[in-house]
Amino acid sequence: MSQSFLLEPDIIAATENVMPDLNNDLVMAKNFLKQQSAATGDTLYDHLVDVVHKILSQKPPDVVDQFEQYSWAVKQEKFRPNFDLLNDVYLAPPQLALVRRLDEMFRLIASKNQKLDELGEEEQELDLEEDNVKPRVADLIEHNYYFREAGYGLPDSECYALYIALNMLAIKEPVATVRFFGKIYGTKANYYIAETDLTIEELDRRIREFEMKDMPGEGEDMEEGRAQEAEEQKEIMGEGEMREDKPKEPVPPKLPPEPVSTWQPTPPVPVERPGQGVNKKVYWVCSQPGEPWVCLPDVTPQQLVVARLTARCMTGDLDAEVITFPPFEGTERNYLRAQLARLAAATAVSPQGFFTYGSGEEEEDIDLEEGAGDMEFNPNPFYQGHTLKDLLDPNLTYWVHHGRHILKQGRTIWWNPNADMQEEGLEEEEDEGPPPAVPESGPSLFSPLAEDARVDGMRAWTPRQSSALAPQRALAVIRSTLWPGAVAYATTGKRSECMYVGWGLKAQIPNWSPLQLPRPQDEYPVGPEVMEMADPTFADEEAYRIAHLPPPPPPELPGEGEGFGEEEEDED
Amino acid sequence: MNVHKLWEYREYVNVNGMMLTSELISLLQNSLTLLQIENHFTHVQYWGQLYAIDADYHIAVGITNDAITDRKYFYTTDFKFWGLLPKPKRKYKLLSLITTFPFRGDPSLKIKVLDESLEENHPERCTLMKEENRLAATISNISDEAEICARGQLIQQPDGCVVINPNYYGLTAPEAKLLKSYLHIRQPQQRWNTNLLTRQDYNYSMDILDSIDQDIPSGCWSLSMEKSGSVAYLRSLYWPGMTFFHKVRTPDAGFLYVGSGRKNMDVPFLL
Repeated sequence: MSQSFLLEPDIIAATENVMPDLNNDLVMAKNFLKQQSAATGDTLYDHLVDVVHKILSQKPPDVVDQFEQYSWAVKQEKFRPNFDLLNDVYLAPPQLALVRRLDEMFRLIASKNQKLDELGEEEQELDLEEDNVKPRVADLIEHNYYFREAGYGLPDSECYALYIALNMLAIKEPVATVRFFGKIYGTKANYYIAETDLTIEELDRRIREFEMKDMPGEGEDMEEGRAQEAEEQKEIMGEGEMREDKPKEPVPPKLPPEPVSTWQPTPPVPVERPGQGVNKKVYWVCSQPGEPWVCLPDVTPQQLVVARLTARCMTGDLDAEVITFPPFEGTERNYLRAQLARLAAATAVSPQGFFTYGSGEEEEDIDLEEGAGDMEFNPNPFYQGHTLKDLLDPNLTYWVHHGRHILKQGRTIWWNPNADMQEEGLEEEEDEGPPPAVPESGPSLFSPLAEDARVDGMRAWTPRQSSALAPQRALAVIRSTLWPGAVAYATTGKRSECMYVGWGLKAQIPNWSPLQLPRPQDEYPVGPEVMEMADPTFADEEAYRIAHLPPPPPPELPGEGEGFGEEEEDED
Repeated sequence: MNVHKLWEYREYVNVNGMMLTSELISLLQNSLTLLQIENHFTHVQYWGQLYAIDADYHIAVGITNDAITDRKYFYTTDFKFWGLLPKPKRKYKLLSLITTFPFRGDPSLKIKVLDESLEENHPERCTLMKEENRLAATISNISDEAEICARGQLIQQPDGCVVINPNYYGLTAPEAKLLKSYLHIRQPQQRWNTNLLTRQDYNYSMDILDSIDQDIPSGCWSLSMEKSGSVAYLRSLYWPGMTFFHKVRTPDAGFLYVGSGRKNMDVPFLL
């Protein structure tokens, strides 16, 4: 008993011993435990040693409850491939791709800053000019700080990289102001959205391009369409002539004239030019900070109208197909742009007086009646802030929209469809024109949120105070119930900003219902020839036959020929 | 989410732009720790927030023994008093789905619900429901459909009790990219062997729960790997505002619901 474990030679000696012996039993048991498994070549003895070793060295709590897991973990460790066996195989951490992009971006910004510094030292007198050229980037980090105070915002890790990415956008692209608009989730990737104003030169270039493309292009399309129609008509005419030339073939029964569609497409509502209305701002997206920013195309009124009738999630791929009813023209980048236009119109809010018409520095005579829909507005230098109580007022009279309302037409400025109609009418004929369109109008710019449409009897925005325990540093935050994810904050000082983080979906109560398919049109006028009616029975036919029997032959026949003739006539 | 880890989690939690403020975390940790002591819970989790007009509801879950059957839900609007939510009745669970207007913020408020599927003059066409019952029913609906955990976070012990795994190591990066690795926290609705045998590497203690890859339609959970693939986020489209996060290879995981408590019925159209 003094020696409980035996060495290998003793084992051999012990196996020859036949007498029952504790040592012998131990040896037998140990031999059993050392049996190699046929599948793995492992032995239970080694495994137990490893498990006990691991438990004693790591000293986890409550081992007995998780013993099975421990055993499993030990087994798993054995199967971990040892990459050192191969020559210098190093597995890069998954962060590599992101780090590469960020590194490139940081280098760019650093070099640019260095250049600016050098320039600044050299030409300090010409600083004014420099300021004019330099794009203004909204300070996302500061705004995010306030959003975080209010319980919204982005994580710091995202926010900083994004701020640098916005600066990169300002350097690389011809933009005058840059602002972070928000983040839109997609099923595969997310979009970060930057809202920018273009520089004056770039805007002019785009307007020229727009006018070049739009005006003559549309005309050509129309002419082509007409030419095609004419050709088709000619073809039809031609076919008809050909048939008349061949009298030998059996003449086909005379077909009724092919119905000609009287439907005319309603003239498309013209797109608002760059820098105007819904296309006032230009949006750029990327799915990771550091990726190149992609400019979204301008939105057309048709796209806006369709986007309002549909509900769809973003996928994260800008070129993904958008399958909706009614059909949407364009890919996901157009759809995203349309949703952004709707979001910007609905969720751009600020405290009253934060923005003002014109430059705000002089009292200008502003004719509100004329062009209030497309008036320039700027931050108000005389804005003093409101008290927290005012900002938190549940009636929200101190908050105003600074996004332009989008009309049902899909434009912010109403376009009169009749103006064109009248011209066309003069060319052709004075037909019964479409009824004169009633000019649509929406709430004017800077209308208070109190006038917003209500959601199910409740206000569309909910105000909250950021902090109850420290009211001296609290700020007001309002969130939209109509566009879940849209928030805006305002401090009692001069800070205010809005942001959107969400799926880009409007909350529709009780739920979204797809547009009904239009009723199928009638193929032909329903008349007696095509009406269904009951087949005549035998009795009916009999009665008909008797009623239509030839009149009984007259008693005296003046001549056979005439009689035949009469009969034939009767039969006919 | 474990209340005692909220400070560590605050950088990861982002539900539709909503982030935890320092004040909220402080208030929650104080009041929920007290709640835990009063009720002798082994775990207390912050469940989420339901938007209401006057004051938002904050919801917490207390777990005594069994992480699936022994869950008690509490609500508060002011962090001073946590009220125990009543047991959700089936009737109210159905009614809360058709109630469209937002919560008011007053649990004793009685609301009228019109069930338009019933005929006129049916006695149950217009039903009275207390907001507290509606809250309980809504939370129960969300829990049944959208409360999830990572595989291995909950394990079944040999005596049948499901507990939160104290030695959880987290999913590996390839595992975290599969919807199969995330399980519903509810009584399994599928047969036990279905859940077990759909995996090659099945484990009797882990694979007792339904995995979310079988939810209909496929795509109703959006899985995204963010922060250069180190954190997995799962967002429910049916319950917008339900977000689950899991930091890969760490025991950090949790879900949070922040929303209006309305189910999004448009999911088939969205995808």
